[in-house]
Amino acid sequence: MSTATDSPGARLILNIYIGLFVLYLFLPLAVMSAAAFNSFDYPSVTQWRGFTLKWFVALANDQRLLQGLVNSVLVALGVIVVSIPAGLSGALILTRLGQRSGTVLYSVLVSPVLTPGIILGISSLIFWREFGVPGGLFVAVMAQSSFIASYAMLLFLARLQRQDRTLEEAALDLGASHTLVFRRITLPFLAPTAFTAAVVAFLQSFENYNTTVFAIGGEWTLVTEIASRLRFGLSPVINVVGVIFVVLTLLAATTYVLLKGKPKRA
Amino acid sequence: MGSLARAYGRPLALTLTAILVLWILALILVPLGAMVQQSLWWKDSAGDVSLTIDRLYNDIATLQLDAGNTTDAGKKAALDAEIATKQGEATALEAKELNPGKQWGLDNFTRMSSLHLYIFVRTILYALMVTALALIVCYPVAYVVALASGPRKAIILTVALIVPYAINELLRVYAWLMILDYRGVINGVLGWFGVVDLDNRGWIPFLENPSAVFLAMIYTYVLFMVFPIVNTLETLDRNQIEAARDLGASTARIHRRVIIPHAKPGIAVGCIMTFMLSAGSYSVPAIMTRGQGGDWFSQLVYRQFFESNNWNMGSAYAVSLLVVCTAFILLMMRFFGVGLRDIAK
Repeated sequence: MSTATDSPGARLILNIYIGLFVLYLFLPLAVMSAAAFNSFDYPSVTQWRGFTLKWFVALANDQRLLQGLVNSVLVALGVIVVSIPAGLSGALILTRLGQRSGTVLYSVLVSPVLTPGIILGISSLIFWREFGVPGGLFVAVMAQSSFIASYAMLLFLARLQRQDRTLEEAALDLGASHTLVFRRITLPFLAPTAFTAAVVAFLQSFENYNTTVFAIGGEWTLVTEIASRLRFGLSPVINVVGVIFVVLTLLAATTYVLLKGKPKRA
Repeated sequence: MGSLARAYGRPLALTLTAILVLWILALILVPLGAMVQQSLWWKDSAGDVSLTIDRLYNDIATLQLDAGNTTDAGKKAALDAEIATKQGEATALEAKELNPGKQWGLDNFTRMSSLHLYIFVRTILYALMVTALALIVCYPVAYVVALASGPRKAIILTVALIVPYAINELLRVYAWLMILDYRGVINGVLGWFGVVDLDNRGWIPFLENPSAVFLAMIYTYVLFMVFPIVNTLETLDRNQIEAARDLGASTARIHRRVIIPHAKPGIAVGCIMTFMLSAGSYSVPAIMTRGQGGDWFSQLVYRQFFESNNWNMGSAYAVSLLVVCTAFILLMMRFFGVGLRDIAK
């Protein structure tokens, strides 16, 4: 592929710019990670008091953060359970609707993606209070699902656009029941997307703060617990959580690059 | 409905429809309606009513005293009647005190104090500035990722963009907090060179400046600007750029006349997402300012709910925010001529 559309001077400037941009992206993470190993009480890299792992031990003994982790996983699993069927139903129905009625339905189903997160949290909180359900893990699941289901639906829709409908029609002509066709053709076709959607839903839910903070009530997730700690001051224990996230993400990213970088069989 | 039944069979079509209706009602429309409804009523404060009740009981006690002292039967009957009416009034008011009636109207919106209105407008302006800055920062990046690099470099850059995003939003903000804090990295480095004196609290208060929030916010939402633009630019035929260059167009002209017009839908989507996220962001301003810098509107909303415990007012604030965001989205869609289907990709 030709890339020489820019003059050498312009390319140099662009490369410097990209370099600075990548620095902007990664320097904060590097600083955050480094401070996790500093034995100084305040997370810092400029006041270095020697290498330590004591903050990792502190995290391992931090019951509230660990419980928050458990709660985060519970909420994320709940979100998967709610949003994958919802997204799937939405996508399956939308692909069969006409342009006119489809557009209205589509707008409604996509609107949560374009709504500020705090609004989704607030409206769920108010809605569920009417049924006597106070803010908590359940309301957090519902609030997050309202927009994560939309993401799942978009993934399913993209997949369904590449579907070969003749396969289903042939099966129906040969006398298969609708349920059989759905189970043996449609679902297997959508299974990889369902997996992707579940992973996306899990990550979205796990890292969500703006919606959760309004819906969570007296309970807490890992993220809301970190946020409430930050109000009282910085602690290197939070940096340790950061290091763990950075390492996990880098591992996943490297795996992805290695897999994707391999020359494909033509 | 007929076409659905034909495609999936009746039982399946019904199940799918049921799930969809449940999703729309229980997760999207009714909660939204509940919030709007909550914003439209309020209850009068019970303070005045309680005062009146106290006064009535005082009167009754005096009257009872009078009635006990008097010997005139007619006068006593009159006093007893008066006591009875006052007691009736008090009972009625007590019922009202326990359950003050809902008042409906737009007062929650019009009662917004001028300070809060100022913060509201300022938040919108800040969000617009964040959006514009993010666009300026991200356009060259998107250009390089989509057009000006080989496929391998593009993959690496894409991953480099995704990695910070995959790390928790809060932790990314936290990283910037560490850097810009009073005893943070920048002040620390400046301290080494003797520019600032940390021991005497002579640090530079970066966090009290709104640009600290800008910096962290762009950092947090950068991806929502880059990826839509990359997506549209990837469909641009590079031959068009070659042709323009062969015909003698300057680089700036190529960008203005060929690349940017092609990227327009992506730019619109990026701006919409960035504006929506930054205008409604609670995490970034709450953590970065820690109450030191200027508030963002989302923080006011939070306080109405969880500190003033005034859900009606809080809902009104939230609805105002939602209205502005929706208006911005519609304006951008109209201005750039993009549809909802372009946005949600």
